[in-house]
Amino acid sequence: MNSFSELVALLTPSLFETLYMVFASILFTILFGLPLGVILVITNQDHILPNPFLNNILSYAINTMRSLPFIILMIFIIPFTRMIVGTSIGTTAAIVPLVVAATPFFARIVESALREVDWGVVEAAIAMGATPMQIILRVLIPEAMSSLVLGITITLINIISFSAMAGVVGGGGLGDLAVRYGYHRFQTDVMLATVVVLIILVQFIQTAGNRIAKNINKK
Amino acid sequence: MIRIENLTKVYKKGRNEVTALRDINLRVERGDIFGIIGLSGAGKSSLIRCINRIEEPSEGDIWVNDVNLVTLKDAELRATRKKIGMIFQNFNLLHSKTVFENIAFPLRLTNTPEQVIRDRVNELLSLVELSEKAQVYPSQLSGGQKQRVGIARALASAPDVLLCDEATSALDPKTTKQILSLLKSINRTMGLTIVIITHEMEVIKEICNRVAILEGGMVVEMGDTIDIFSKPGTEATKHFVEQIHQLPTHLMNGKILSLSFTEGSAGEPIISRIIKDFDVEINILSGTIEYIQEKPIGKLIIEAAVDGHQLIDIVDYLEKNHVKVEVLKNE
Repeated sequence: MNSFSELVALLTPSLFETLYMVFASILFTILFGLPLGVILVITNQDHILPNPFLNNILSYAINTMRSLPFIILMIFIIPFTRMIVGTSIGTTAAIVPLVVAATPFFARIVESALREVDWGVVEAAIAMGATPMQIILRVLIPEAMSSLVLGITITLINIISFSAMAGVVGGGGLGDLAVRYGYHRFQTDVMLATVVVLIILVQFIQTAGNRIAKNINKK
Repeated sequence: MIRIENLTKVYKKGRNEVTALRDINLRVERGDIFGIIGLSGAGKSSLIRCINRIEEPSEGDIWVNDVNLVTLKDAELRATRKKIGMIFQNFNLLHSKTVFENIAFPLRLTNTPEQVIRDRVNELLSLVELSEKAQVYPSQLSGGQKQRVGIARALASAPDVLLCDEATSALDPKTTKQILSLLKSINRTMGLTIVIITHEMEVIKEICNRVAILEGGMVVEMGDTIDIFSKPGTEATKHFVEQIHQLPTHLMNGKILSLSFTEGSAGEPIISRIIKDFDVEINILSGTIEYIQEKPIGKLIIEAAVDGHQLIDIVDYLEKNHVKVEVLKNE
């Protein structure tokens, strides 16, 4: 058994590794996933910039990425990771596969959030002479903001769950700690403490996300 | 102001083709409140949406202010649309923005200076009597208030034309009247040309000076509202006009005439003269007065115990005295 202070000493660096991986990943995920989701929606047959060719290609690409289990994807893209961050091992290197895995997921979430925007409102903007860019930035995204925040929350929690596997590429984090101490060394208390911290983290994020989404929603 | 020439709209879905509009020709003059009425599926929604090309016409030309919209490129079309306001059945306000920001929306699209926006929006808010709701979100408004915001938003960029796509169909009769009188006063004070599509005859009667009746994607009748009302020509027109007074069928025996009195003919005791001069018996079955754009039209339905020759003479006599006659039944 570890004392409480020993547990804290073990958990703190892992928690920070997890937070670093997760928040850096969500940042890049939004950066890439939001435009992808927007393109998925607006290139649809009946939307503002129909382009069935681009739409199909994008849709297939996203489906392909999403069909790979995270652990396989992580190893599969090691050369790509090395190209981007210079190494395939470590916490920063783990961010690359996390972003690659979460981006298509988030793009689909953006797609469904933007599709919920009342088409009549888009049409009103068209009738007022808005450009496609103005429609995206001033109608689609603001009108879907509440759903987008909830989508970001779901994606964030997904990334936390993926990040537990980051240990495979030496990414560290809470999941890795739980496997190394709790599983390989039979230190059940470490496992338990990790689980408790993860539960608190997820609860906190979900609650915060719900609250922000509710405040934004003026419907 | 608006000229629609040989407009045809065909919807294609796979191998199916549906012709929504067939060779429509219309002319709306500056200052008109032009009504387009039809049953659902008559194509009226497609028609109004072709005017600002929210819907692409399959064939034909749409002239607004001597510009043919059909020939315009995207950027030119967007610039032209700013001069064509539009309001909708479901209001289509941005839920995420306040009343103020909704009205400011078209002005922000053109990067109007903040001070100009503030003045213009406040002016519009007082026009539609919603100044105290400026910072409220649309979800907190009633239907009538939402439509007033819609009207203010449509007027923000000072358009020449206002298109109303079933603008009162989601509102109760009292609110409908308020919205219609607002539209009418805007038409008068600003000289704004208004095109309204509706399935409600009341709307046409209330404010339109000209009307087109649409059936099966074609204009079956068009003219001044008062003329269409006092003498409906086609079956489709009758359907709309007569939904207002319907007589029980067991009373519809013998020779039944429908008489429409306008201002010129209402002062004379015409029925009484017919009884004396022609020595006939007349039974009055129903009588109503309708107001079309505040002008009264008296409608009488009478049964006359006469033969065919006398009937012709009576009709002739009535028409000479400026009473419009329609023979509903001749047995």
